[in-house]
Amino acid sequence: MSATSFRQRIRQSIEDENLQVALDNNAERRLKGRAAAFQSIRDLEERRQRARSIRADVIERLDQYLDQFIAKNKENGVIVHRAKDAHEAVQIVLDIAKSISNYQSSKLRVAKSKSMVSEEIELNHALEKAGIEVVETDLGEYIVQLRHERPSHLIAPAVHLKKEQVGELFHEKLGVPYTADIPTLTAVARKVLREVFLTADVGFSGVNFGVAETGGVCIVTNEGNARMVTTIPPVHIALMGMERLVPNLDDLSLMLSLLPRSATGQKLTVYTQLLHKPLVGKQRHLVLLDNGRARLRNSPLKESLYCIRCGACLNACPVFRELGGHAYIGGDLSIAPYPGPIGSVISPGLLGENYVQLAQASSLCGACKEVCPVDIDLPRLLTRVRAGQSPSADDQPSNAAGGAGLSSSTKLFLRLFARAASHPRLFALSQKFASLGTFLLAPRSDWARLPAFTGWGYSKDFPRFAAKTFRERYKDKLANQPPRQTLRQTESFKAVPPIDHSITLPLPEVQFAQELTALGGHVVFTHHPTRSVIEFLNLRGVKKICLEPHTLDENLLRQEGVEFTYEPDAQAVVGVTKARCGLADTGSILVAAGAGHPLEASLLPEVHIAVLKTADILPSLSDALPFVGDKSAAVFITGPSRTADIEMALTIGVHGPKEIYVFLVS
Amino acid sequence: MTAVQLFVTCLIDSFFPQTGEAAVDILRRLGVRVEFPYEQTCCGQPTFNAGLRRDARAIAEHTIKVFEKTEGDIVTPSGSCAHMFRHNYPELFEGDSSWIPRAQALAARTYEFTEYLVDKLGVTDVGARWNGKLTYHPSCHTLRGIKVDRQPRALLSNVRGAILVELPHAEECCGFGGVMSVEHPELSAEWLKRKIRNFEETNAPTLVVTDAGCLMHIAGGLHRQKKTQRVMHIAEILNHK
Repeated sequence: MSATSFRQRIRQSIEDENLQVALDNNAERRLKGRAAAFQSIRDLEERRQRARSIRADVIERLDQYLDQFIAKNKENGVIVHRAKDAHEAVQIVLDIAKSISNYQSSKLRVAKSKSMVSEEIELNHALEKAGIEVVETDLGEYIVQLRHERPSHLIAPAVHLKKEQVGELFHEKLGVPYTADIPTLTAVARKVLREVFLTADVGFSGVNFGVAETGGVCIVTNEGNARMVTTIPPVHIALMGMERLVPNLDDLSLMLSLLPRSATGQKLTVYTQLLHKPLVGKQRHLVLLDNGRARLRNSPLKESLYCIRCGACLNACPVFRELGGHAYIGGDLSIAPYPGPIGSVISPGLLGENYVQLAQASSLCGACKEVCPVDIDLPRLLTRVRAGQSPSADDQPSNAAGGAGLSSSTKLFLRLFARAASHPRLFALSQKFASLGTFLLAPRSDWARLPAFTGWGYSKDFPRFAAKTFRERYKDKLANQPPRQTLRQTESFKAVPPIDHSITLPLPEVQFAQELTALGGHVVFTHHPTRSVIEFLNLRGVKKICLEPHTLDENLLRQEGVEFTYEPDAQAVVGVTKARCGLADTGSILVAAGAGHPLEASLLPEVHIAVLKTADILPSLSDALPFVGDKSAAVFITGPSRTADIEMALTIGVHGPKEIYVFLVS
Repeated sequence: MTAVQLFVTCLIDSFFPQTGEAAVDILRRLGVRVEFPYEQTCCGQPTFNAGLRRDARAIAEHTIKVFEKTEGDIVTPSGSCAHMFRHNYPELFEGDSSWIPRAQALAARTYEFTEYLVDKLGVTDVGARWNGKLTYHPSCHTLRGIKVDRQPRALLSNVRGAILVELPHAEECCGFGGVMSVEHPELSAEWLKRKIRNFEETNAPTLVVTDAGCLMHIAGGLHRQKKTQRVMHIAEILNHK
């Protein structure tokens, strides 16, 4: 019955033309983007294997790394919770909410940035039931929340929708005039959600990686919403699958060289945050979720825990390309929280029997394994789910006999086939019968037309069995033929000469400028940053700025009539901060918590100006990470805030600054 | 020289015996002694892929026993059966200390047909002739499963008279996927449509494959759509004069 519904859903997806166009676009563009992004990495295969072994080690020694991570977090002043299952995790979040002083007096508001784990535990539903307002703030998530849907892709939640549908949705739900102009729609969301960030009682986020050695919580977003929810509200709750750890900052840097390239084709996500301590006067909670992970770890599907949730396997998967995220349904018709190849392993792996049928919908073509940044052998894991090896809640294999999710007719046929195939005489006899059968079906053709219900007959004809099998023909004429001549050794084809990688790189500041400019950022070379900033402000007619202390010549600012504040100011148009360092290969800058409010100053205004010394430009992320291990919070910023959540159209300035200027001081 | 053992595969045995004959012909022309153990049946892939491991194991044990009675390399004109021997048999017998070495020994002897010609015999020109355009569909298990791609391409590039045209989106699965093509016919149909569309774009009348599974799937789709293009196994192209 359930398999029938699954097939119905598949048919619905295939017949939905809009969806098919969107999914084709997603597959083609994401894969192209991924390939282009990996061109800047020479040792991809080596990195993949290193990343794989790091993740394997983490999963192997998970308890040890968790202890280290938790101890570090406690030391850092983070309140750590552990949740055995979805129910416990939801309860923990509710308890935190209830401890907030105005819980009784007014409706509590939670600003939420994207988290697949929260989908897994169905958090929104539970919070809403408790009278708490939850607002998704990732543009794509916001759209699907307004539509009361689940996200349809790990990293592109609204990939199934067209801009016209979003336009109608915003018109209906937000009362704005209808438009299908993506920048206008994005601006609407920016305005509505900005209000949410500024008034939320709790900010909620997922976690991309936890760093065991430093206790660091790494969160990456392009729009800037995760920065908002971790920076602005008085309480931040981070929910994390307990397996999402890396041992140290070097390992993090390796993962970050693979994750954004695999996910969105970016060298680095716009905002790569590393959080250690709660911000001054604020609270941070970390909820570590098991929910079947410990069980999965002790099962033959263990390798699926290596996943870093980049979504590349979805983009490469021909099944996902037909289905989209909403057709991956369980026996109870519920949509699986994780779609795509990895989802067809971890949805049954974490949540059980209900989702095993998903694993049968695959040709095991291996495209997923090939793009996986940690080389998870997904085809193999899919066959293990099919073999009934996914763990179930009572630690019994869910279907010891195997064939999980298979229709009973196919199962019966295969059983009979297996009997024949392990007995050669029976096999030869079956061939004869089958041959006779297809001859009766198609006496005058090499092809038989089978009815659609057979499956095969749905779209193709079936070849007639040969009148004489190979084995018979071999016996008759080939068996005693000798080799006809001696081995002719021909010249083997010429090897392609290796590609010369010894390209000379430009000066670090030139490379930095090239990279940032390519992302839509601006670089201004200057000897006198304060004067340059003042000129810029005059040009824009801006009188007041948010400023990080000790960044500009403040006397000169005063002389020139520029007002500035160290405090966060939601009205300020321009924020000026230091860049602690720059990264040549990605055009990124590092902004770190310190005196004043640089994190807010680089986030709330529409224009962010960063002052960077050329001497502080480092080659790449791995060179800079050691300097952030002791910062209470830091963010690598790579270009202006952006999104591609509506029809994959790149749109600048969602939640964070629309413009970024780096004043480069030599 | 020790003989080569041909594992012809159940599909070629039952549906396309001429492909098996072509493979034997080519090998013999190159001076290789070929033997065909008659007790062989199927590698067990349909059952393994469906998750019926107990059944797959019965077939695998049978196959291992059959080839243990022989010596020399095992050559099979199928990337997916080679993949089954190499990667799935060890998986099937994991943790079974008596069978694992036997499965590994079988895997170590196994070569896909084009891989054997190029990597083992060092031959990239088998003296074949063909008149007209050919396009190559790399079967999933050949390309990604056992990472054999340059070998069939090198062999095809030396076929006299053949004009090789690149198939758009060649690396995409044709939608066969064994039992998937009957369990999820709707999915299978979509990929097949796309594969045929891409094939037609090349204007080549003949599509070359290394696996009889893809062959019967794509050819079956072409026949249903009343198209005149053909799908041929690489062994038959290479045996053509």
